[in-house]
Amino acid sequence: MAEETLLTDEFLRQLINVGEVDIVVGLPTHNNAKTIEPVIRAIQAGILKCFPRERVVVINADGGSQDGTPELVTGASIDDVWSASKVYALRTLHCISTRYARSPEPGTALRTILAAAELLQAKVCVVISPDSTTIEPDWLQRLVRPVYSNNFDLVSPIYHRQRAEGLLMRNVLYPLTRAIYGYRVREPFASEFAISGKLATDFLGKEIWNEEWGRIGAEIFLTVSAITGKYNVCQTFLGTKVRPHLSANDVVAAMRRTVGALFSSMDSNSQLWSTISVSQPVTTVGNQSEMVLEPARVSRKRLRDMFTAGVRELEPVFRSILSPATLSELQRIAALEVGEFNYPAELWVKTVFEFSAAYHKTVINRDHIVQALVPLYRGRTLTFLLENQDGSAEDIEKSEESLCGEFERLKPYLLEIWAERK
Amino acid sequence: MPLKREAGWYKDAIIYQVHVRTFNDNNADGIGDFQGLAQRLDYIQELGVNAIWLMPFFPSPLRDDGYDIADYRSVHPSYGTLDDFKKFLTSAHDRGIRVIIELVANHTSDQHPWFQESRSSQDNPKRDWYVWSDTDTKYRGTRIIFLDTEMSNWAWDPISKAYYWHRFFSHQPDLNYDNPAVRDEIWNVMKFWLEIGVDGFRLDAVPYLIEREGTSCENLPETHEVIREWRKKVDEEYPGTMLLAEANQWPADLRQYFGNGDEFHMAFHFPLMPRMFMGLRLEDRKPITEILQQSPEIPAGCQWCLFLRNHDELTLEMVTDMERDYMYDIYAGDKTMRLNLGIRRRLAPLLDNDRRRIELMNGMLLSLPGTPIIYYGDEIGMGDNIYLGDRNGVRTPMQWSGGWNGGFSAADPESLYSPPILNPVYGYPAVNVSSQKRTQHSLLSWMKHIIGIRRSSTVFGSGSIEFLYPANHRVLAYVRQLGKETVLVVNNLSSTAQAVELDLRRYKGNILIEMFGRNIFPRIGDLPYLLTMGPYQFYWFRLRRI
Repeated sequence: MAEETLLTDEFLRQLINVGEVDIVVGLPTHNNAKTIEPVIRAIQAGILKCFPRERVVVINADGGSQDGTPELVTGASIDDVWSASKVYALRTLHCISTRYARSPEPGTALRTILAAAELLQAKVCVVISPDSTTIEPDWLQRLVRPVYSNNFDLVSPIYHRQRAEGLLMRNVLYPLTRAIYGYRVREPFASEFAISGKLATDFLGKEIWNEEWGRIGAEIFLTVSAITGKYNVCQTFLGTKVRPHLSANDVVAAMRRTVGALFSSMDSNSQLWSTISVSQPVTTVGNQSEMVLEPARVSRKRLRDMFTAGVRELEPVFRSILSPATLSELQRIAALEVGEFNYPAELWVKTVFEFSAAYHKTVINRDHIVQALVPLYRGRTLTFLLENQDGSAEDIEKSEESLCGEFERLKPYLLEIWAERK
Repeated sequence: MPLKREAGWYKDAIIYQVHVRTFNDNNADGIGDFQGLAQRLDYIQELGVNAIWLMPFFPSPLRDDGYDIADYRSVHPSYGTLDDFKKFLTSAHDRGIRVIIELVANHTSDQHPWFQESRSSQDNPKRDWYVWSDTDTKYRGTRIIFLDTEMSNWAWDPISKAYYWHRFFSHQPDLNYDNPAVRDEIWNVMKFWLEIGVDGFRLDAVPYLIEREGTSCENLPETHEVIREWRKKVDEEYPGTMLLAEANQWPADLRQYFGNGDEFHMAFHFPLMPRMFMGLRLEDRKPITEILQQSPEIPAGCQWCLFLRNHDELTLEMVTDMERDYMYDIYAGDKTMRLNLGIRRRLAPLLDNDRRRIELMNGMLLSLPGTPIIYYGDEIGMGDNIYLGDRNGVRTPMQWSGGWNGGFSAADPESLYSPPILNPVYGYPAVNVSSQKRTQHSLLSWMKHIIGIRRSSTVFGSGSIEFLYPANHRVLAYVRQLGKETVLVVNNLSSTAQAVELDLRRYKGNILIEMFGRNIFPRIGDLPYLLTMGPYQFYWFRLRRI
């Protein structure tokens, strides 16, 4: 019954006109006018090229853009794509838009898209990020085909990333999810993914939507739901992913959306993950192409200063969250100069685990716990960048794998502190 | 007596396409004939059509079902005599039914005396009646039409030791229309039949009359000159005669065959037909509206000829490669069903014998702009036999009853020109005129009903069309208008129920009268007009301001 209030009458009228479809392409937006046009063109070209016979609709769930994003989405003419790609569409391609809220909530956007996909009985729902300016038309095929033709329920992406990109994913989200839930999903918080109609329906029925973490970090819950629900999960190689530069505030918000949501999922699924001791690989489809890594342009001193300031200023908070040994070690490395700085993997893993346990026990306000991790994360990213400043993609991969190994090795430590009384 | 040759009669015609050989056998020799056809005129009249298009009935070796003519001025002995034809023609006219015959002008049989003379020596006066060459390298830019059987458009003649040009089978040499004597002689053939009283000609394979080096040898300006010459003579000497072009071409090329109203009166809309099937299966109006948008305006007095199926394969020449692949996959999964660039199946099997889809397709055929042609047997949902060679699978005996040979012939079954359909679904015991006449809700009865409704208004034949584009792409809606008469047609191409909102504000104040049941629907107001439609349902509404 949730759809009745989630979907506006106008959106429902549009859905009636679209009718049953095979594929829903979801495009959550909020003030993406600068990047949306190449994305929508790539989507249209991908549909024409790879799914000319399928019934496809592009659904834009917009969070109240003030820059005309929805108009750019619905106004993109497929005629231009036809003439450019020389590919002809057999069918009508609907491109519809709905404004789901006055303020942007990514989880609500996803929920709107999934609710529409369920109503339209879509076999596949693929979500594309509006800022994926490196998107190629083939992305659609790579994401959709495993669900459409090979009965997978969740297709998660693997991107090419520069050494300074995806640091939160590399240092927290991937290794932590992998250690906790036992599946090596490289992008547990994916901005592009495809899911089956079955998983979409199941996920829509979850209780997360009225909680804050559901509204802002539903993607993590989706990955976790697929894993814990024993759905068929696979990964697909996409291509280069370049994220817009994040400001300091953006990092905090990203931490809340992702790590906060992951901690929340751990809190509610501890019975499921506490017995998992090893991780297993996930089927990966497609071929990975080579990528030239460029030198990272990061202000190391700034990162180190933010870390040091954080350790100093948040000491009272950390005393509630961290063990004395961990805090002491952090204070030691906070005194190091940039050239000597090293936030070792084991210490980082213990830090994260202690934060998650503190979150579980709600030792202080949960949101404050998540935000307090930010300066420490900056310190860890500094070490990651120092370790990998000259490394090849293969070296970086090994470094990531090593960190994941640490997360898995130290999982008993997590179980131990998780079970301790508050 | 010929019917009065009224100008533009073809615009409001509904044409029934029939082959004498397949329809009714009077003399029990296993082959249909004109006396048999004449006996079935009451049936054709009851069906409601007002024109018959006869496939070739001339003397012929029948290597291409009569499209290989050996004598243009007579009747194949299997079908009767010229007198039999004349009697049939008179009977048809007495019932108000006009008769259109085939004029296979592009080529003859290689058994035609003209060709026999032409090949006999290089000095023969008829040598230049055909296209001869010492090499087979001329006109290399010309495509081969019968890809499944022919390797070249040239064939070596061992008698005259030269190559002759043929666009179709090698036993069908092309006439040489650069030769004025040929043009005169074909005009004489037309006069011969017009004097007898036929109402029009369906000109077979017209794009190919003239050949020129460095071209595709199709749609050439010189070909249009020949057509204009015939049209001029027809208008001057036999006004009211209708010329129908068979030109399997894209809309822009097809348009040329209307000229400035001085070439053909009608032309088949070949590109539309496969797109109707495509739109139905895609459940999307796009292929239909798109091709009709691309169809140019035609001169006043001219008309498109629409059809769902005919005696040939469902041609897929006028679709893109992607569309052709789709059509093959959807409608001809069994490769036996494919022939040349097409699908050799009848209407009912193509539509899985789904009565709703058959009705919807006929509803569109009868309501889109143009003169509809109904292929014999499709009005009762006859099946096909894809195991017969060439296109013979869609040319099996008409199924009149559940009795001996389906009522087609009293001959021994073994002597029939073709085995009748016998399978449990489409065989004559299950599908026949006699049983369908007995039930009010049979396909035949329904066809009579809808033909009657179509004929109740000239808006369908002569009216303008304006497409509505409701947001629901599964619904094809258009308004036909002529003078003060306005008809709204709404087709649900989907296999599921649909809701559709139509913007009818310009008709505000009108009420809708559903033309099949004459029921009144709510008055049009300012709001979008909401209709709910069952699977494959369609409505024809007459708009009335009361």
